[in-house]
Amino acid sequence: MITSGLQIYNANPVFGGRGGWTFPALVTLGGWLAGGRHWHFAAMWLFSLNLLAYGIYIFVTRRWQHRFLSSQDIKAIQVSNNPKRKNYSWHRLAYTIIIPVLLMAVLTGLGMYKPAQFHGIVFLFGNDWQTLRVFHFISVPIVLLFSLVHSLLSLRVGGDRLVKSMFI
Amino acid sequence: MLYIPEPPQIKRNILGRRQLLQLSGLSAAAFLLNGCGSSLLSREVNQISEPLNQSVEALILNPRQPVPEFPLSAIQPEALLINTFDQTPQIDSQTFRLAIDGEVAKPMEFSMQEIQHLPLTSMIIRHVCVEGWAAIVQWGGIRIRDLALLVQPKPSARYVYFESADGYYESWDIDSALHPQTLMAYQKNGQPLPIENGAPLRLAAPIKLGYKQSKWVTKLTFTSQLPAEKGYWIDRGYEWFAGL
Repeated sequence: MITSGLQIYNANPVFGGRGGWTFPALVTLGGWLAGGRHWHFAAMWLFSLNLLAYGIYIFVTRRWQHRFLSSQDIKAIQVSNNPKRKNYSWHRLAYTIIIPVLLMAVLTGLGMYKPAQFHGIVFLFGNDWQTLRVFHFISVPIVLLFSLVHSLLSLRVGGDRLVKSMFI
Repeated sequence: MLYIPEPPQIKRNILGRRQLLQLSGLSAAAFLLNGCGSSLLSREVNQISEPLNQSVEALILNPRQPVPEFPLSAIQPEALLINTFDQTPQIDSQTFRLAIDGEVAKPMEFSMQEIQHLPLTSMIIRHVCVEGWAAIVQWGGIRIRDLALLVQPKPSARYVYFESADGYYESWDIDSALHPQTLMAYQKNGQPLPIENGAPLRLAAPIKLGYKQSKWVTKLTFTSQLPAEKGYWIDRGYEWFAGL
């Protein structure tokens, strides 16, 4: 989604318009605008259905009740003297917040994909095209930052052993 | 004789969950790397997803329902950029004729005077370009739907093919062409349509991307069969339906 999104971004940069700075070809997918759109509007099915499946999964297994940020976590971040407990809570904060960020990416994407038929979505963002674009695009640095921070926090909590146990 | 014991038979999953994740992750990455920085594979990917996307967008189109419009104060004149694939043709509006033919009961030709005597439909809508920009614009003109009342397309007609004076060509599904907000426009933001925006007549609608809205239109052809060349940008890889 991200690399084809950057390809699409290059056609009309959010910051700078037609003459604005563009992403180097190496990080883009699709070659040109039409190619980027093909990838983007194909991958969006995988991305959104996967996210939906995840949502159903955490609801059905009631995972949402105990695996995400709770009031105790917020308290721990504020007052805890146990560094591991604090890290754990920061971790939970990160992967709780990422869910609405991903949902926002889907919502703003749909608003720009079908602004006439899904005009309600555009209305939610003040009927402003630039607002839609900025919110949609901002999910990219957030997701990249999240991946980085999430990985670093996991390493801090569980070290190499935790990472190895997941992948190897 | 040396007794060499058999190694114990280890029961293994043919493909455990972990191995599956590793394999699919690696192969997906390898597959995608082929596409990096180039248009390779995007056409193939498109062939898989476009039928689905086209069905969905045709489904959500309501052929009779206008989409919400905007107040006068919302108009963004500077935001309406101008693109053209080639030169800007100079057309004499006195001698200009719009031809409508194909699978219609009464093929006709209209002069600009005749068109401007027909009921004017004005709308303030969002024009969206595939490049990613949009602009609120007022378009005024004659609904294709109203022109169809005069030429009477046959029930067999499923598409409308548009020819332009600069060699641009496009084709629409008939439902979108006859949508109440699809106009042959000769007015923009309260003024007569400028040449760069397509004068004397251009397609204008809020339900399709900008590249579908031909400028300098000279002919409409109602048809049941589209030719292989469905549209200038379509033939270069962009979506045909391009519904908003």
